[in-house]
Amino acid sequence: MKNQFLAFLFCVGTAAAQTAGSDDRLLAAFQDRALSDQAQHMKTDERIKLYEAMVQGQPGRPHYRNLLASAYIQKVRETTDFSYLDRANSVLDGVLNEDSNEYEALRLKLEVELEKHNFKKVAELATRMTKNAPNDPWNWGALGDAQLELGHYDAAADAYQRMVVLRPDLASYNRAAWFRFLAGDQPGAIAIMKQAISAGSSSSENVAWCLVELGKLHFKAGQVEDASKAYQSALRVFPNYHPALAGLGMVEASMGEYQAAIVHYKRAQASTPLPDYAAVLYDLYTTTGDAPAAMKQKQMVEMMDKAGQAAKEKANRNLALIFADHDWNVKHALELAAAELEVRGDIYTYDALAWAQLKNGQLAEAERSSARALSMNTPEPMLLFHAGMIAAANGKKAEAAKLLRRALELNPKFDLHQAPIAQSKLKELAS
Amino acid sequence: MNRKTLVMGLAMAGLSFAASHRNGPLLLEDQTANLNDLYVFRSWEPGRTDRVVMSMSVQGFQNPDNGPSYYKFSDSVNYRFNVNNSRGLDGVADMQIDIVFKTELRPNPTFVSYFGKIDNIDSPGIFLYQTFAVVVRNQKTGVTTYFNADKNGHALSVAPPNLGPNTTPNYETNLGAKSVFELSNGWRIFAGPRDDAFYFDSGATFDTLNFRAPAPVLSGAADQGQGAAAPAAVDGFAGYNISLIAIEAPITELTASGSAPTDPKDPNAKIGVWATTNRQYVTVRPSPGEPMNFGEWSQVDRVGNPLTVEALIPLPMKDYWNRSEPANDKQFAQFIGDPFFASGVLNGVFKLPVPPAPRNDLLGVFVPDITRIDLTIPPVTSAKQSRLGPLGGDNAGWPFGGRRPGDDVVDIGFRALAGVLVPGFQNAPPLGDGVNSNDVPLLDRFPFHAAPHAGYSHSQIDGTNGRGKATN
Repeated sequence: MKNQFLAFLFCVGTAAAQTAGSDDRLLAAFQDRALSDQAQHMKTDERIKLYEAMVQGQPGRPHYRNLLASAYIQKVRETTDFSYLDRANSVLDGVLNEDSNEYEALRLKLEVELEKHNFKKVAELATRMTKNAPNDPWNWGALGDAQLELGHYDAAADAYQRMVVLRPDLASYNRAAWFRFLAGDQPGAIAIMKQAISAGSSSSENVAWCLVELGKLHFKAGQVEDASKAYQSALRVFPNYHPALAGLGMVEASMGEYQAAIVHYKRAQASTPLPDYAAVLYDLYTTTGDAPAAMKQKQMVEMMDKAGQAAKEKANRNLALIFADHDWNVKHALELAAAELEVRGDIYTYDALAWAQLKNGQLAEAERSSARALSMNTPEPMLLFHAGMIAAANGKKAEAAKLLRRALELNPKFDLHQAPIAQSKLKELAS
Repeated sequence: MNRKTLVMGLAMAGLSFAASHRNGPLLLEDQTANLNDLYVFRSWEPGRTDRVVMSMSVQGFQNPDNGPSYYKFSDSVNYRFNVNNSRGLDGVADMQIDIVFKTELRPNPTFVSYFGKIDNIDSPGIFLYQTFAVVVRNQKTGVTTYFNADKNGHALSVAPPNLGPNTTPNYETNLGAKSVFELSNGWRIFAGPRDDAFYFDSGATFDTLNFRAPAPVLSGAADQGQGAAAPAAVDGFAGYNISLIAIEAPITELTASGSAPTDPKDPNAKIGVWATTNRQYVTVRPSPGEPMNFGEWSQVDRVGNPLTVEALIPLPMKDYWNRSEPANDKQFAQFIGDPFFASGVLNGVFKLPVPPAPRNDLLGVFVPDITRIDLTIPPVTSAKQSRLGPLGGDNAGWPFGGRRPGDDVVDIGFRALAGVLVPGFQNAPPLGDGVNSNDVPLLDRFPFHAAPHAGYSHSQIDGTNGRGKATN
């Protein structure tokens, strides 16, 4: 922005200026301002090309390498293609090998480690960074994210509160909104997520991401039309965005529009083949009586599981839920969920574990895990459904009925496969 | 590779770590709260020279053809003018003028935000309809005045974008000028898209100071006012729009004494102004019985003078600077009083002699970082304005007479750094980037910034109206 251009001209004492002494360093910094301004208007792929060229031109400058790493990380956000994460990581490692205190690289490293699910490591690193740079909201955001995944909810709320006070914007609002939801306040979550969207960002993916989150918040509460609107807005902001396509598919599936749902999920899958999409497509094809297509989706899930095993990936709660939901390989589901608990301890991990434990007949363990999953009083139909089924299996009929009723009150069509099971179990309990 | 293998390959590539976590965006560029420029000047509009105009621009580099939604003000941002009129201008606000926007999405059968023939500010084709409220807060008296309609009861609406001759015919007459509203207290206000009045050969400067001759030392015709010949220079801001909020208020309502000063020695002769953007923070933990709790306003950006330290603050400090108050700007004086541009570039690169530190001339302008205007200096009509302001013998410009949209703050800034304002220092050369005027003429009436470039006329090849490239 022009402020920055001009501020640069005055060049009033940056860290660079103080240590520079050489004209080269200053002149290079001049170029940085032009660069960031140009890049602001570019799409992620264009940025990557530009920064790659800059890095080639001046391989010695950490700033360009950090910019390149940050563009790679954004690309991961947009595509879920983790080869870009590896690229970002190796670029950052290169910078940090030369200067282990390089601030920008350290900051970006937090996000890479978050993507790699090294939550304990991020909590440690981010705690250190909040001490060194307590006024940088980024560090508090990364710290809160890590604490959230580790299930340290109080610590997460503290970190997010620091972040939002330091800088109320899309990044901090969306975190505050999500915490509100976890802590049982769906209307507050919606209001704050709308603030996040209104705050905006020049990255359209960032705005679309918040719109998808808004859609999910609405859907969990059965506000299906609002959910649909939010997903459609997300697609307008960032065309072909796979979580928005999947969200629309979910809405359509809940309204019985199965063919439309299949189309949207197929598009999401073509963009990013997540196992979750294959699992829903399996359900959709099964519902519509297309057994061969359903089988292909099941094979795809199994293929992804094998690929994960080949990559020595032990923890995967998404796959655990898919396997447990469909009674495909419940023993493996339990392995995957138990391994996840070593990585993180949030309510969703306990939920996956509880569900897998139930499917493996570990009723007492399932009950304990489920209690952890409900400890935040989160208005999440799936958590309540799982808890209800576990209570029923443990012979606690009244509690089971209450939990299932609550899940269905939130959204009677919360899941294509599971909502009918909740309904019939509730009838069974009443009889 | 057939399609299926491709899908599987992708699946595998994507699978490592595919179990999700909530990866909320951290890589953020905050656009709607990002302030660009602040202008403060005495109006030269006939019959209204007893008034001061304050305007702030946000969201720079708007592509005029960026449909279908174009650009809007953020509903979650409080855009604020801060006025300091007492205690020798200490950077503490004595008056605050807040502008808060509200977006209404009218029933819309289309995918676009503006449709059909939009020939007045109430046209139903303005599907994305923004209005705003103005809150004037006098910190001394505690009196707060609130406006959400003009003196005739019309909503304070944001001017729609300039799409082109088919949708928004006669833009300035039908829509731009009609979006200037007079409030019941006589103030006037405008909010909407405008041409960016800023001009600068940014491309040459950032190509490692690769100025296009005769820049960076201008002389003769190349250093004259508007329309002077420096044909090689390129205005990097030509053809782009910004979102502008402009207010026109009588001088007597902005001074502490309530009168219009005539003597430069009068303690009320000068006021200082800066702009901030603020967002409300929220409580992360829900509190029982209160589903939502929006808290205090928290400052996210500020702009005082055009040449501020913002971008130069080391990364961990940048947000801190943006959040801080001008009243505390002494903490940055060590940087401002010894600018590296002077010693490192002017002296180091261009071998020019520069005055020694500490540079009290600069500290006087930048600490606190507010735009100062001497209200006793009469306004100058556009034909007689010098782009160099006081350096060109026209005291009604930056940095002493406020800042006007036409002031060449780049050239003034270069020269100030080189020492032109230092008493007794004779060596400051006439530096400049070579761009001496805006790509389109300013208006001679409020809000003074020219009408926005039309989307229809915009092209990446030759800019807007063929003028987006080379200007003098």
